[in-house]
Amino acid sequence: MKFNYIKLLIVLFLITTQSTYSQNNIPSVNIKTLDGKPVNSRSIYNKNGLTVYSFWATWCVPCINELDDIHKEIEKWDEANVKIVAISTDDSRTKRRIRPLISGKKWGFKILLDENQDLKRALNINGIPHTIVTNGNKIIYRRIGYKPGEENDLYQFIVKNSKSKN
Amino acid sequence: MKKIKNILVLSFLLNTSFSYTQLFKNLSSSYESYSAYYLDDSKTGDFNQEDRFRSNNYLNLKSYLGRNWNFEIQIESYAPSPLLNYSPNFKEIGLSTFKIDYNIDDLNISAGNFYEQFGSGMILRSWEDKDLGINNSIRGLNAKYRINDEINITALIGNQKKGFKYSKGYIVGFDSEFDLSKITKNNSTFLMGLSYVGRNDQRTKSSFYPEMTNLISGRIDFSSNSFYSNIELVNKSKNPIVIFGSLSDNFIKEGSAFLFNSGFFKNGFGLDFTFRRLENMSLFSEREAFGNVYNESIVNYLPALTKQHDYSLTNLYVYAAQPNVSFQSKDLTKAGEIGMQADLYYFIEEETFLGGKYGTNLSINASVWNNLDGNYDYVNQNYDVDLFGFGEKYFSELSLEIRKKWSTKFDNIILFVNQFYNKKFVEETTGEVESSIVVLENTYKINDKKSIRLELQHLSTKDDTKNWSAFAIEYNLNSAFSVYFSDLYNYQNPTEEKKVHYYNLGGSYSKGINRYTINYGRQRGGLVCTGGICRYVPESTGLSFSITTSLF
Repeated sequence: MKFNYIKLLIVLFLITTQSTYSQNNIPSVNIKTLDGKPVNSRSIYNKNGLTVYSFWATWCVPCINELDDIHKEIEKWDEANVKIVAISTDDSRTKRRIRPLISGKKWGFKILLDENQDLKRALNINGIPHTIVTNGNKIIYRRIGYKPGEENDLYQFIVKNSKSKN
Repeated sequence: MKKIKNILVLSFLLNTSFSYTQLFKNLSSSYESYSAYYLDDSKTGDFNQEDRFRSNNYLNLKSYLGRNWNFEIQIESYAPSPLLNYSPNFKEIGLSTFKIDYNIDDLNISAGNFYEQFGSGMILRSWEDKDLGINNSIRGLNAKYRINDEINITALIGNQKKGFKYSKGYIVGFDSEFDLSKITKNNSTFLMGLSYVGRNDQRTKSSFYPEMTNLISGRIDFSSNSFYSNIELVNKSKNPIVIFGSLSDNFIKEGSAFLFNSGFFKNGFGLDFTFRRLENMSLFSEREAFGNVYNESIVNYLPALTKQHDYSLTNLYVYAAQPNVSFQSKDLTKAGEIGMQADLYYFIEEETFLGGKYGTNLSINASVWNNLDGNYDYVNQNYDVDLFGFGEKYFSELSLEIRKKWSTKFDNIILFVNQFYNKKFVEETTGEVESSIVVLENTYKINDKKSIRLELQHLSTKDDTKNWSAFAIEYNLNSAFSVYFSDLYNYQNPTEEKKVHYYNLGGSYSKGINRYTINYGRQRGGLVCTGGICRYVPESTGLSFSITTSLF
């Protein structure tokens, strides 16, 4: 038994060392608008700058803290020409709260619904909050979790990379 | 042997020039590992099961093979044993799932293990939740076709996953979605859906009921600028009731579900209302899996429609949906549930008396769930329930949450909850619990990187094991490191030896896509619920650690 386990670890090691060309693009998965219409994940990106994809849920306190903290200073994010897409992973237990919640919070982000977590799975996201930044559909930044203040790191990253883009 | 072979083949592939072909050029992976070393506890007892060290490991590999083909496998290992509370069907190491996808224009075909949901999931949902040990993916064929902008169809057939095994019977499904928005005006959306699911269970052959159980569902969904409404109706064909663990030959009933949801939202205000009635609605890929504690072989998703809480004391008396027929005794008979839930969100503007400088967020949730009212005949095992009758109350809850930012450095979350929990009916034991909970969460940002979070909680009740208190303190040293200490204490437990501190001490390190955690402490036993699914867990004490990493 132990032997098998070691094998697995070896395989894992090989993969982590060898796959230098791994996934760096947004995969093509159908998710939904809040009205229930299908949207392809590769069609969401910002044509004029970077895109932030924030995976969240109505029951996830740190996710809401992150989006609230971004929302509180939304003018500066808007100036950086970044498009913020909040992708809800709420399933049918909680998805009904999304529209009232975002209205109650006055968030202006684009909100999309990944109800059975198809995009989350395709991106190998294990837990939320999970933040991804893309240039077009190319992934240039990823982060698991959120701690107060981390939105500033993200903002700095965006400002720096937006400049190099233009 | 076969499993070892799989691994060897994989490592061979990785070691050959294959690595640099198209297959591996677009390879992505994720690896998750959750391990624990269980200890004896002088307060809660010795660890008396096999293997103190237990570990769950998940390795997922995906490859995008050019424009049209995708390939995915997941290898899982539960060696030497799975963590406590995971099904014994998770054994050793093996290929857990695989899938090949072919996409061309408007057609998508998947062969292998796929995840799928029809409508809100009331007749079919296959998904993965590692925390709960759920992976009820279906292994077979799934085809999706977009006929035009208005019509989408899905057809599937396969066997359902159960640990590393598969159900003997098969599941067949068909779903269609129509976008009828052109009929309506003013940017509104009008969608309609029709679905069918058949569950064939060959294991339980009987002359009293057919092998096949059929479920039909219809739904409509309407949304306009600030209003939405949707309805879903389900019918389930006749199926034997499980009485004390065995299938009855004469207690055979149909099932049904009705869901209505509507909401209104505008500029700082949001309201949502849901009504649901479930009668004899649970569905398992194998009839005999009914009521299994590991939530295996579940075909449809019937979550509790209550507020999903994030704090330990608000999760002590959690409602679990009651979709089943259960005849435990003359005064404990159930046929399903009926109830409703409402949510209200309101933002108090900045620069007002109650809003302050940054504004205030309010949210209110209310829910009530009851048994179906009607005539229950315990002796002859039969029932006749009313369509809209509210029977014995299972659960009710009223909560108010206030989120308030006081300054750039300090904010609060205040939560008041009032609960009624009918332990007798929900857990099929005895007692009722009426409780009030208060939570105060404080976050103080010391600077851009450092912050402290303090959570204080109290639950008061005269019932069950009386009052509880809890606190948690978390210190974020920088964007990578975080440490915490938390405690949960049933300080009024009538049994002196059960006044136990459920303390936990731990830390985490996260950087980009890597996260490592370590925790030492004592876990509470009982009904533990996450994501609308509940399961019974024993108390445990130990050291646990996890690794999460994924490659770009």
